[in-house]
Amino acid sequence: MISATTLIIAAGKVDAIVEKFGLAWGKFIAQVIIFWVVFTILKKYAFGPILAMLEQRRQRIADGEAKLEKISRDATEAAKTSQAIIDKAEADAARLVKEADDAAKALQERRQQDAVASANTIIAKAREAAELEKQQLMSQLKSEFGRMVSDATSRVTGKVLNADDQTRINQETATQVSA
Amino acid sequence: MSISFAPEASFSPLLANVHSYASELFEKDSVLGFFTNSVLVALVVLSLVLWFSRKATKNMTLVPHKAQNFFEFIIEFLYGQVEGIVGAKQAKLAFPLLGTLFIYILVSNWFGLLPGVGTIGWGESTGFLSIKAAHDPLLRPPTADLNATIGLSVSAFIVWLFLTIKEVGVWGFLLHTFGPKGGLKGVMGIAVALVFLFVGVIEVVSIIIRPVTLSIRLFGNIFAGENVLHTMSDLMAGTGPVGSFLGSIALPLPFYFMELLVGLLQAIVFTLLCSVYIQLSTTHDDHGHEEGHH
Repeated sequence: MISATTLIIAAGKVDAIVEKFGLAWGKFIAQVIIFWVVFTILKKYAFGPILAMLEQRRQRIADGEAKLEKISRDATEAAKTSQAIIDKAEADAARLVKEADDAAKALQERRQQDAVASANTIIAKAREAAELEKQQLMSQLKSEFGRMVSDATSRVTGKVLNADDQTRINQETATQVSA
Repeated sequence: MSISFAPEASFSPLLANVHSYASELFEKDSVLGFFTNSVLVALVVLSLVLWFSRKATKNMTLVPHKAQNFFEFIIEFLYGQVEGIVGAKQAKLAFPLLGTLFIYILVSNWFGLLPGVGTIGWGESTGFLSIKAAHDPLLRPPTADLNATIGLSVSAFIVWLFLTIKEVGVWGFLLHTFGPKGGLKGVMGIAVALVFLFVGVIEVVSIIIRPVTLSIRLFGNIFAGENVLHTMSDLMAGTGPVGSFLGSIALPLPFYFMELLVGLLQAIVFTLLCSVYIQLSTTHDDHGHEEGHH
């Protein structure tokens, strides 16, 4: 049991502590009020706005990160799309080039064939012309040669050749020249 | 000049005469008897905090100006620490108190290191505007006044109680404090319940003692710091004007750095302990439930 003496001693010690450290309700309440004023001011005018600003900034950074990620994703997608377009364009270009090449080759071949045909025609015509010219020359040669033979014969024989003689001599000469 | 540390000299403490209480600036029995030098400094601290917080939060922008940036850094750091201890949910509720405690204690502690605090005041006159020692100083840091530190710890205790009851309820608090853990049944369960009932009584005593320990720890450290600085300043007081002047500057200088650290440390200790107390009482006790599943 706690005796009355003990309680008195304890109360005396408490009084001594209160006296030594200047404890008083008025001072205590004044300090508490000042602290609560600081608390209220900081809570309303400092912590609230600052934490809201930090949250706003955090949100903005998160949004920025999300946008960045979306942009990156879109860029990758765009790169893929553009690559597909380029691939398709390349394929189309290759196909067109091949078609053009084929068409050019076909045209070249056709032109070549036409040229060959033209050349053959020209050659044939030239041959025909040459043959005709040859025949004309041969005919002229024969007639000239016959005339010269007739002339020579008439000079050698001193006989005036009639038309039959001339015709016969010409024919014989032509036959011999042709042979 | 010479200082004698002869072994045969009888030991006498060199502690400066710093009062363990705050001095009243008006008549003790008057209406303004509560207005002590620590209340005056508390008002100055209040003004400083108000001025700086206003400066920091005025015209706030997403790209912060210098004061805003500095204040944001402090608050973000503190919020991170508090959130790490009490959790995200309680941090929103507890941070205003814990943040205020830290800032108020830190500014008060460091205010006590300003030249003139504890040395300007009333004392035995030695000439025009000159005194031998300030028996009743004009300024005294609030954290070197037990009234203020008890006020801080009681405020913290009230908020702690409010947050605890709000989170777990009165029954939850009683169950958390006195309730048996482990899910044992039968005779062993009764024995364990008795043990936890006894542990609960000890827990209640420890809870009641918390404001006392918090306030005395803070007061003791800051008051001791005041004593150390005054003692060091007065150590060469009897060595002539030049020696006394140089001694009063050079000798306390290393201790100023120590007191800067002590001031910060005590603000951290007070705030962290309050955070831990809140965390301990607002955490839901699911151990028995979990063990029941196992």
